[in-house]
Order: sequence, then C-alpha cells, then structure tokens
Amino acid sequence: MTFLTPLFLFGLLAAAIPIAIHLIRKEKPPKLIFSTLRFLKNTSKKLVLFQKIQQWLLLLLRAALIALLAFAFARPLFDSNIASLVDAEPESATILMDVSMSMAYGDRFVRAKDAARDVIAGLSQGDEVAMIAFDNATVSVRELSTDLEGALAFIDDLNEPSFEITRYMPALRLANDMLESARHDQKTIHLVSDYQASGMGNDDSGWMLSPGVALDTIDVGEGATRNLLLTDVRSPDQLIENRSEYEILARVRSTGSVHLDQADVRLILDGQETTRVPVDLSETSEAVVRLPALFDSAGTHRGEIRVGSDDFSIDNSYFFTVDVMAKIQVLVVNGEPSTNWYEDEAHWLSLAIGGNAAESTFVLNSAVSADLDATLLTQQDVVVLLNVGSDLSNSQARALEDYVGEGGSLLIAPGDRVNAAQFNQLLGPLSPAVLNESIRFANSDYLLIADMDRRHPVLLPLGVDWGVRFEGYWSVNAAEDADVLMQFDNGSPALLERHVGRGNVLLFASALDTEWNNLPLQGLYLPFIHESLRYLAQATTKERAYRIGSLIDLSDVGLEGVRAQVTGPAGEAIALNQSGSSFTPRLVGFLTVDGGEGPEYYAVNANPEESNLVKMAPSTLVDRISNPETQPVQSAQVRTAQLVAELEGPQRVWWWILLLVMLMLLAETRIANTTYR
Amino acid sequence: MAANTTFIDPSVLASLDNLELRARVVVEGFISGLHKSPHRGFSVEFTDYRHYYQGDDMRHVDWKLYARSDKFYIKQYEDETNVRSYVLLDSSASMAYSSGGMSKLDYGRTLASALAYFITRQRDAVGLITFDDKVNDYIPALCRQPHLIRILRVLANLKAGTKTDIVKPLSDLASNLNRKSMVILISDMLEDEERIIKTLQRLRAMGNDVIVFHVLDEAELLFNFQEATEFVDAESSETFITSPASIRTAYLENFNNYLNYCKKKCQSSGVDYCLLNTSQPLDTALYSYISRRAKSF
Repeated sequence: MTFLTPLFLFGLLAAAIPIAIHLIRKEKPPKLIFSTLRFLKNTSKKLVLFQKIQQWLLLLLRAALIALLAFAFARPLFDSNIASLVDAEPESATILMDVSMSMAYGDRFVRAKDAARDVIAGLSQGDEVAMIAFDNATVSVRELSTDLEGALAFIDDLNEPSFEITRYMPALRLANDMLESARHDQKTIHLVSDYQASGMGNDDSGWMLSPGVALDTIDVGEGATRNLLLTDVRSPDQLIENRSEYEILARVRSTGSVHLDQADVRLILDGQETTRVPVDLSETSEAVVRLPALFDSAGTHRGEIRVGSDDFSIDNSYFFTVDVMAKIQVLVVNGEPSTNWYEDEAHWLSLAIGGNAAESTFVLNSAVSADLDATLLTQQDVVVLLNVGSDLSNSQARALEDYVGEGGSLLIAPGDRVNAAQFNQLLGPLSPAVLNESIRFANSDYLLIADMDRRHPVLLPLGVDWGVRFEGYWSVNAAEDADVLMQFDNGSPALLERHVGRGNVLLFASALDTEWNNLPLQGLYLPFIHESLRYLAQATTKERAYRIGSLIDLSDVGLEGVRAQVTGPAGEAIALNQSGSSFTPRLVGFLTVDGGEGPEYYAVNANPEESNLVKMAPSTLVDRISNPETQPVQSAQVRTAQLVAELEGPQRVWWWILLLVMLMLLAETRIANTTYR
Repeated sequence: MAANTTFIDPSVLASLDNLELRARVVVEGFISGLHKSPHRGFSVEFTDYRHYYQGDDMRHVDWKLYARSDKFYIKQYEDETNVRSYVLLDSSASMAYSSGGMSKLDYGRTLASALAYFITRQRDAVGLITFDDKVNDYIPALCRQPHLIRILRVLANLKAGTKTDIVKPLSDLASNLNRKSMVILISDMLEDEERIIKTLQRLRAMGNDVIVFHVLDEAELLFNFQEATEFVDAESSETFITSPASIRTAYLENFNNYLNYCKKKCQSSGVDYCLLNTSQPLDTALYSYISRRAKSF
C-alpha cells in the first residue's frame, strides 16, 4: 500500500487530541451545594460503569475517527495498483551480491540477502533478473531470466560469505555485459554490498557502465564496526633443531570505525596455548607483540596467534608453521686427502661445513673413497665427492646410484685426480654431465662465471657478481635431462643439476679447493656451499603459508607427480583440480597434505586487506562508473512519488473537504467534552 | 376559574421584600377570581332564611317573620368556622437550595405568609411552627390581626437552619393538639419519608386535616445539570462528583419513586399531598388549602 499524500499521515497524531481534551478536562469540576445526595448516590453502579464505558468508547471512536480522517487525507492506494502503473516499463536487472569475507561482519550477509529479496519483490511479471555472487571473482552466476522464483532460490542457496577479498570491478563488468544483451531498455545493476573501500582495488582503468545501464547501490554496511586484526606475523619458517627460544612477532591493529583499546594476544602451538600477552591500544591503533616460543622437537609445528574478541572473529587468528629440522648429515668423500691443509682437497669445504659445530646446521662426516659403502650412505643426507671418481669400485658406484635413486643427494666436484673415462663409466648414470677433459690455463688466464639461473634456489640468494677466477675446470657436456645452472664465460657449464630417481645431483665443474680457482677465498663460498647442501638435503624452505583462495601447486610443496590427499581445516577432503596437481583452499586454518610420507601441514590465512572495514560512499562508485548518457537511476519509491504527484494534483479539493470535516469533528469533541460530560 | 386569573410569577414575587405585601399580593390576586365561601355560619352578617329543622338553635329563629308568617325560619349568616390551622415550615439547610429563582425556603415562607394571611382573612385561627432538626418558633393558633403581623415577622426573619427532623415537631404538635385542627406542612421532605408519612398518618388519625406542601426546586425535579459537578450535600457536607448527564435517568427514576411513594402514602392516609415547584405560582397551594377547607368544614 502506498499513499498519495503521505505527509498527512502526521495527522494521525491528531488522534491524540480527543484524548488530550479528555485529560485536560480532568480538572476539578465546580462545586454545587445541593439539597441532598441520596438520589445521586443511589444511582446504579452498573449504570455508572456503563456510562464510563460509553465515555471511553466515545473517546476511542473520536480518536479513531480523526485517525481515519488523517488516513483518508493521506489517500491510500494499494501497491498493486500503483505498482502496475509504475512498472509499466519492464526492467532488466542484475543483482550483484557481495559475498566477500567482510560480509560476515555482524548480520550484513542476512541483511544483504533480504535486500536482494526486496529488489526481486519490487520487480514485476515480465521483468528479467540475473544474479551474480562475487568476492574478488565471480562465485556463482544466474543468467537473465524472467523466473523470479529462481532468483529467490539463488539467494537462498547462498549459505555464507567466503574468505576472499572484495573486488567490485570484475563483477560490475560481468553484470554490464549481461545487461547489454538484455531484452528491456530499462537496465539496472543493483549492487548489494558493504561498500568496503578496499573493494575498488587499484583499478584506474576508467571503465564505465554501458549507456543505459544504471547502478543502484544498496548499502548493508552501515553502522559502527569494531575489529582487531593481525596485520603481520613474523615467525621462522624453518629451524634447525636446538633448544633456543625464539620470538614470534605479531602486529595487532584496530581497524573498525570504533577503536578498541584493549586486546589479548595468545599463542597456541600444536593446539596448546603457550603464551598470552595483553595489548594496550589506548594510545595507538597498532602495536607489535612479542611472543616467546620454544620449538624443542623436529618436525612441522603448527602455530596460531589469536587476538581477543571483537565483532569480526574471522580474522582474529593467524596460522603459521615452523619446520624444525634435524641437523643435515654431510658425508665428504675426500679424493685427495693430505696432512697438509693446503693440499687437502676437503680442507676448505670442511671449514665451511663444520667450522662452528655447535651452531652449524650441518654434521660433517669425512671419509675416503675406500670407506664408501651402502651402509655409510644410508645415514647421510648429502654426499660430497671431492676429486673422486676414478678410484671408486663398481659396487660403490651402484651403491651411490641406489642411494640417489632412493632420495639421496650428491654434490660432485671433480678435480685433477679424476679420469674422465672412468668417471663417465662409473658415475655416468648419476652425473649431470659427461666429462670431456680438464683444462688448466697457463699465463695467468682464467674464466669467470658469466651466466647463472638466478631463480634456482641455490643461486637465488647469491645473485651478485661472483668475481671468482677459474684457472682450471672440467669441460663437460650436459646430460639431456640435466639443467645448466651456471656457465663460465666461455660458455662451458659450470654448475649442473640432474634429478635421478628421487634424488638430486649437482656437478660443479671445478674443484672446491684453491687448486683450480679462488672460490674458497671468496665471501660467496660459504653461502654457496650451505645453499647447495641445504638444497640437496631437500632442506630448502618450503612455502607453507598461503592466502585463502590462492592456488597451491603440489609441485611447490615437493609433491610433484604424487597423488596426494588434501584435508581442510574442518577435516573436509579438498578435491584437487582437473590436473590433479593443485587445489585452492577456501577456509582459514591448517591444511593437511599427505603424499604418502606422512602428513604435511600448511597454513592458510585470510587476506588482511579484507579485514580493513573502512567504507566508501556508494555514490563514489556511482560517480565513477556511471555513464553520463545514462539517466540517473530512480528507485521505485521515487517513481512512485512522481506518479503519485501526477495523480494527486488535480484532486486536492478533497483536502479542503476532509480538512473541514476534521475541524468540525474536533469542534464537536471539544464542545461535547465541555457540555455533556 | 384559575384560567381566568393571572397569578404573580414567583420570581417577580421574590423581588418584594415586604412579606406582608407579598402575602397580600398572592391572596388578593387569588381571591379576585374566587367565589365567596359556600359555607354558611352563624355570624353577624345575615345572608338568607331557611326552614327550621328539629335541632336548630332556637336563638336563630326569626321571630318577627314567625309572627308574620306563622312559620319557623332560621336566619342564615356568613360563616365563621373557627378553624384552627397550624402552618409548619421546614427551615432546614436543604430548603435553602435554589437553582436560580426563589429558594425553597423563600417559596415556603411566601406560601406560609399567604396561607396565614388568607386564613386570617377567613377569620380562622392560624398558628406557625418553624423547625429544622428542632422547633425554632412556635406561635399558637389565634385569629387576630396583630397575631398575623407576629407570624409574618417571624417568617420574615426566618433563616435556614442546619439538619432536618420533621418528625419531631409533628410529634410535638400531635401531642399538644386538643381539638380538631388543620395541619399544613411546608417542607421538601428530604428525610426519611417513611417516618414522616407515619407521623402524618398519626396526625390524620387523630382527626386532624393534614395538608402537605411538598416544595421542590425545578432542578431537583428535572436534574437538568449539564457539566460534571461536585455536588455537596447541604446538610451533611458530603460530596459526590459525577457527570449529571450520565446519571440523569437513574436519578430521575430514584426521585420519581420517592415522589410516588410520598404521594401514594399520603393519599392512602387521607393526607392531602401537593407537590410544588418553586418556579410555579402559588395558586396551586392555595387551591389545595381551600379544597381541604371546604371538605372538612
């Protein structure tokens, strides 16, 4: 129902006038000395009661009469009548439902669904509507259709907001595209959202809606917001086992429109709360909290930092993992041992690996070629062959093959004692390259490193100018399945990698002592050796922290080609994509990926950008993307008001008639109260 | 007869301060339309002859006419009945009530004066008793001009009293009356009507003629009040707030029941009952008196 002159509804207040008169007239009546009261007091009590009821009934009737008059002044019209007039022009509409994480704040999501239902309720038979649920991408779509019931069902099927950030533009573009093919000329996009300012992203494309497509903004993000957010957490990704206490840093920020000045930050390790720290935010909106943590056992530790209670609990937890590793066992097989340190092939390498045994992440095990056997190999994470190759037996070579095939790693640095033919024969199945000949320069000539794969994990932190002079090297031909990671300036490979079985082999085409080059004397030597050994021991830092919605490739977590089972935070099985090599987490918490060698844990967190609840004015978006050729959208209310004004104008004489009746009734009430009480 | 007579409106009458003048105006206006008394008595003023019947007083035989006609004729004179009348006027607080014109007390005072004047003019003896809850004035019944002056003076100085007790003065009077008299009660009778009627019945049973002038204000009879009012009892000072419109019907029902009771009981007991509205002229009262006087004497 609508009203032609709704302002007259204020006249309903006039219904209080008879009541007011009744109350005002309650002053003490005049006194009259009368001859006797006996005939007054004998009047029937029932009669008096009846008279009182009559009076109240009269009062109610008068009040109702005035209220009805005010109602009549307002000129009620049934919605269906006016709607049929207003909706004479059919409409094609697209309802955009924001289902990003911020919509989980309070009852926004429920209100958004109600608002969308209201939009549909305002449509008429023959109107067509499309539905799009979006966050940073389209979540679900329903094409333009005149089936309004289906649109309502689409809304009902939206269970809960996602954990994704908001991006308006992709959804608006899609809606615009859908409306371009709409049947009706009146095209409207109804955007139901909390109008989070960050939802605009960095869009500066200047894109606008097509001419004729209007944008109707429905804001469900009104009201004050209170939110505590962990904007940043710094924790070690990987630790080598020791008993030291580490510090985890967490940055807490109050981001709502209402500032929270107290917070409580808790550290939960492997399901047990270990630390609780109060935070005072009374004088600042952000604070850094230090949380001590002790990781006293090898393996992947799951940590959660949880910040106090607010109105938006989704972003109150930050999940992380810490890999605590046992020390890396490195077996250095010295092909040219010597009591003189400067002649010992393993001198510099031993210094680099085991110089500070207590602090080192490596355990150095030394051997000569004759000691090498399968038993010794099984205890090693990495085997380094220094100037070894010609003096190995066939059985030792097979043991090395088995070792590498089962996941062991090998670093080969052939020196002057290596015979190319024997080396190629014995270690050919393992070596990334075929040795051709060893070359020593005379006349102080030398080679430099000219090119390298700076994205390789070994070389990633070493992307500086090497400046190492190589006076001797092995000329090699890379194996077909080997990667050349580094080249000399004459184009000959300097560092090669080959994956063999489940293991990995690196070949450094020179020596790792000072006999052929001055690398051990360079500052790069130590990190190069450490990164190489760590990489070979598969101790490289695994990426274990992911944002929700990001694509996780199994190859990134060392499970390439493995049929892995992925379990979500709530214990639900997560399906891999079609290729079976990647998946997308949809919930925050810990993922469990089991590739057959025990579970691996990965932390999934929400994007902190979505936790910033700062709003923008919906008109900002309208101004930005509305096409100047498009008539401003008029709501059904505005159109109704215009139509009402047109209908109502010529009939205003009724006002005066009804006004006169109302005044007469008020006068009657006044007179009757004065005279006939 | 009454139709040919113009009586003075009580509101005009009320403007006359002199009670004697007021009584004379009432009575003379009344008398002017009235025939002479139909009763013939043995007075000094000869009116006619009639035949002698056994038992007639021989002193009234006209002997001269006997001598001329040899028949006994009895001389007839205008009557002097020597009726003793007592006017009892209620001067309680409730009688002071007035809705605009004469108060009931004023009306009763005028009526008492007129009756006294009229009775005296008829050469009957008239006495006066005024009372509220006790007898305030008692003037025995006499038939002399100074006596009338005394009655009128008492009536002129009469003030409204407090509470009402009609039974007591009536009982006292009944005890003191030693010959047949006419008792005229002027009151609003807003008391226990049962007790009043019983006392009146007692007076009537003693052979007295009793006339009750039930004087009431028009507002009491019609209860035509409009606005909500706090009614204060004139005698008990008790209060009662009500909306007259809402209880008018019930009031009138109660009041008419009361009036009917008074009227029926009086009539059944031989007591003349005359309801007087203070807004109406006094002729009704005088007619009632004369009617009773004619029946009795």
